[in-house]
Formats: sequence, C-alpha cells, structure tokens
Amino acid sequence: MSFWLTVAGMVAVTFGSRYAGLVRRTELPDFWVRFLHFVPIAVFASLVTPYLEGDLGEWGIRIAAASVAALAAWRTRQLWVAIVVGMAVFWLLRIPW
Amino acid sequence: MAAAGRGTAFGRGFWALAPLWLGVIPFGAAYAITARGAGLSLLETQALSVLVFAGSAQFSAVGLFAAGAAGLEIVLTTLLLNVRHLLYGLALGREVDLRRRERPVAAFFLTDEAFGVIAAAKERSFAFVLGVELSLFMMWNLATLAGFLAGAAIPDPTELGVDLVFPLAFVALLVPLVRTRAELTVALTSGALAFGLARALPGGLPILLTGIGGSLLGAYLTRGTPPDRTIRADDAAREVA
Repeated sequence: MSFWLTVAGMVAVTFGSRYAGLVRRTELPDFWVRFLHFVPIAVFASLVTPYLEGDLGEWGIRIAAASVAALAAWRTRQLWVAIVVGMAVFWLLRIPW
Repeated sequence: MAAAGRGTAFGRGFWALAPLWLGVIPFGAAYAITARGAGLSLLETQALSVLVFAGSAQFSAVGLFAAGAAGLEIVLTTLLLNVRHLLYGLALGREVDLRRRERPVAAFFLTDEAFGVIAAAKERSFAFVLGVELSLFMMWNLATLAGFLAGAAIPDPTELGVDLVFPLAFVALLVPLVRTRAELTVALTSGALAFGLARALPGGLPILLTGIGGSLLGAYLTRGTPPDRTIRADDAAREVA
C-alpha cells in the first residue's frame, strides 16, 4: 500500500472514531469502556521496548537513558524534560571516558 | 486569527487551550524530527498533521513506516489508538448542542487536549468548541513545520542516535498514565510481550497484537469495578495523544 493510501486509511479511521461518538446516543458496554482505558497504556508500552535496542549495538546505554527518562517523566510529567534528559544521558554515556 | 480576540466565544476557546501549547510544541517537533529520520518528506510529514491530527497515532505511524510495516498494520494501529475518541464524541454530543452540519467539523478537530479543556470550561457553544480545537490544530501544525525545518540542522541523525527520541517520547507519554496496580501490570506485560513478539514477527504486527492483548488484560483485571464514565478534564488533557 502506498503512503497516501495509508494516510487515507488513517484519516478514515480517525475521523470515523471522532464522528461516530458525536452522532450516536448509545452507551458502550462497561467492558469496552475499560478496554479503551487501557489501549494507550498497552500501545505506548509496546512502542518502547522493541525500539530501545537500536542498530548500533548500544542497547545498554539506551536502556539506561530510557530509565532516567522514565524517572524524569514521573517527577516532572513533562514530555520535553523526559526527552532532553534521556538524550543527555545517552550522549554522556557514549563518550569513551 | 482576527476573530481570536478574547471578546468572542471563539477567542475565549482559542485562549483557553493556550496553556497547553507548551506541551504541544516539543511533542510536535519530536514527531517531525522522527518523521524526517524515517524518510518522510516535508509534505508527507505536514499532511499527517493536517489530515490525521492525532499526535500519538502520527508518531507511531512514522516509527512503523521506518520499520517497514505494511499500510494495513499502520491503519489498524491508528484505529486502535484513536477509537477512544468515541468516548469524547459521546460526552461532547451530550454536553454541547451541535447542529447537524456543525458535527463533522467539531468531530474532525476533536482531540484529547481539546476535550479536556471543553469539559473543564463552562461555555457550551459551537464557536467556543471550534476555538479550543483550532487553537491546538494551529500550534500542532506550526510545531510540525518548525521541527521538520530544525531537523535539517542535524547533520547525521543516525550517528547522533536521534532514533532514540521515539521510544523516549513514548516512555514520557506512558509514565503519567500508570497510576494503579492494574495499569502497571498492563504496562509491564505489554512491554515484555511486544519485545518478545518483535523478535518473531515483522513490522507493526507486534504492536497491534500487544495493544489488543494488553487492553483485554486490563479490562479483565479491572472486572467487577464499574468504569469511570465521567472523563475528568485533567486526565484527558494529560493523555497528550
């Protein structure tokens, strides 16, 4: 599938989700409301671990950087702080001391 | 944005969201830098911000493009991530009396952040809703453009390890969402499952399977506790997605 066909699909499912709720007056069953609550947690976690390894064999320092970033995210709740702190730790650990 | 004065309903909505710009700018910039690293052109990167306008779905999509995922996998992951907007639509439809032709417009620009601000505000007009929504749309797209152009200054993204921004961004999005034992269990299980599946399966399939499996696990673990249907404004705003 080409890039633009993929984009068209993304637009359709995103707009569809946003519009369907607005025009319908029904309630979702409890189970699915709870399911939807956990979707961002499950998907975000699955977008972290497979991408930590990297292609340059630096998984050790990348995991260390991500751990410090998680701590920063927990303390500050600011996305940019977590990214900046994580990258800073990564670049520091890269230096052959 | 001449109509964005504080005296109009649109203007009040526009400025009601402005405090969230601070969080949107680095997120949009990080998305654009990752998209550039994944080989997307400026037009393609910006088109996603204009047409899809969903931060975490766009971010995961460019990561999946880079990983060589199939288009269908990317579309299904987008659906999984964005289907919760159904809940915001349901709540917004109850709260704000929208005319038939206003609904598709209000729906197209509906996001977590906008819903959070509207839920916390007292105003309930279409103009106010649109002001809130377009405030985020404008800043998200400006941040995308700025991030992509700034990415040109990075000489060798791979050498610098800029691909690490992707998992770091999702660590930062994930951590504030984890507050209960069930949420922690789902986060850790999903992380481990996706890691394992990624060794065996190509492209976006590990994320899709883990997303469904992890959410089912969470729904199962919290069975018996009635879901909180009153979506709190701070929660929605925190789920910067």
